[in-house]
Amino acid sequence: MSLERKDEHDHKGWMESRELSPLESIYLTTLIWLDKRLRVVDYLEILEDLYYKVNMQMPKSHTEQYNLDNKFWYWYPLYALGSFSTIAYIVAAISGALLGFYYAPAAAAADGSPTVAYDSVMLIMGQLNLGYFLRSVHRWAAQVMVAAVFLHMLRVYFTGAYKEPRELNWLIGIILISLTLVFGYTGYLLPWSQLSFWAGQIGVEMSLSIPLIGEWVAQLMFGGFTLSQATLQRMYILHVFFLPFITTALIAVHIGIVWMQGIAEPH
Amino acid sequence: MSTNDTDDEVRTDGSGGGIVAPDDETPTWSERKQRSQGLSRLTYEYFERSRREDQDLRQQSDYVERDVLAFPAWPHEMIRNLALTSFFVGMILFLAATLPPEMPNPANSAVTPAIILPDWYLYWSFGLLKLGPLNPDLSILGGQKLMADRTYGVLANVVVVGFVAIVPFINKGSARRPVEQPFWAAVGMSGVIFSLTIAALSIKNLIPMDSHLLFDLTFLVPIVSATITYAVLKTMREGYMFDLNRRYYRLRPPK
Repeated sequence: MSLERKDEHDHKGWMESRELSPLESIYLTTLIWLDKRLRVVDYLEILEDLYYKVNMQMPKSHTEQYNLDNKFWYWYPLYALGSFSTIAYIVAAISGALLGFYYAPAAAAADGSPTVAYDSVMLIMGQLNLGYFLRSVHRWAAQVMVAAVFLHMLRVYFTGAYKEPRELNWLIGIILISLTLVFGYTGYLLPWSQLSFWAGQIGVEMSLSIPLIGEWVAQLMFGGFTLSQATLQRMYILHVFFLPFITTALIAVHIGIVWMQGIAEPH
Repeated sequence: MSTNDTDDEVRTDGSGGGIVAPDDETPTWSERKQRSQGLSRLTYEYFERSRREDQDLRQQSDYVERDVLAFPAWPHEMIRNLALTSFFVGMILFLAATLPPEMPNPANSAVTPAIILPDWYLYWSFGLLKLGPLNPDLSILGGQKLMADRTYGVLANVVVVGFVAIVPFINKGSARRPVEQPFWAAVGMSGVIFSLTIAALSIKNLIPMDSHLLFDLTFLVPIVSATITYAVLKTMREGYMFDLNRRYYRLRPPK
């Protein structure tokens, strides 16, 4: 009697009994190896189930059923605004990551002399190959994203797409549009130029005039009641760490819900 | 084998002892779900019900079994998306190349610029901060204002965003087209126009117009445009809905 534990389902024997190409046997060996440890097959089953649920049976869309294309073809381009804002977000993320290699959120002062942050933006614009273009792309991607998001919201409003099963997604959309604006605002402050400084000043005053929690908000968001290095650093971390994580996750949820619920067509 | 090694003692390899149920007594997952109590039981029952509901829906006449879905995702849809995406990214690159940003002077707290402005997309919010003249002063308090103008402006922002957020909970029903609900289309149109006029108010020192007139127009223009929208849609409505209903009727005559 062999001391070796017997393979209960004898996958090895099964594999040998079949004539497998090298690719197939490598694939099966890997799959079995992973499955023994992680029960991959269970998850594959779920995926397979999902695939068929998504693909096998789809109701005819309202447009198909009643042949309504000639009744609202003029809405169709507006249905692309959501994906346009996502594309602009991706462009902004890529160009922003590249800008992040060169930008330093440091030495914020307000005495009219160039600070480290200001100088690093100047370096990007003046010395770096294609740096001016990179900053321009980042800025325009942001502007286009905000514009697309606003128009997307109008489209959703005027086609009544926020109704019954989709209220939750409307609320998520409002959070997303606010996050987009905060994204823009924090980015606006980063070059630490005159415009940045005075926009920051307005921000501090706005938070200070919130009843009850104003001072707390000003300290949390701006690191004090006057603009300083702390402000710049907080804006930077919001812009490159907190907001990207939150916004990306929410965009994923937003699109996931659209996927699950389907596009709301006017009827 | 040591002498104190008894049968009912649990061993580290999991054998011995009655801790693990024998295989034939282990409940299956469906049994576990059925046996469970409280919330999980409710969840299970609800899932079963909704599964039945789905099934019924699928068997209704307007659900069709199709081998091929309307427009194949690969390659047709993918190529279309790729074309649209590259066109759009190209547009951003073109804008970036033709209209690069400029860089103002370094921050200087001693010099207040003539014009303090955020980016264009925050003009509406900036304009709402300048609604001081609408902040009521109460005669009870001896002509004093209940809250500072700044607080009033921040509150106006909260009110506007809050109103937009609760729209789906006020406007219910299955109507989708603006012509079906002229009132809500008019509300939307006044909102759009107001966001533009309030943005104009926020940059009033750049607009060659009497600031009092501008302030009045900020509120009048949205109301006028809402009225026009309402009138136009109300007029269109009958003919439009007649067309639409005739189409539905032809495709699906009532039994």
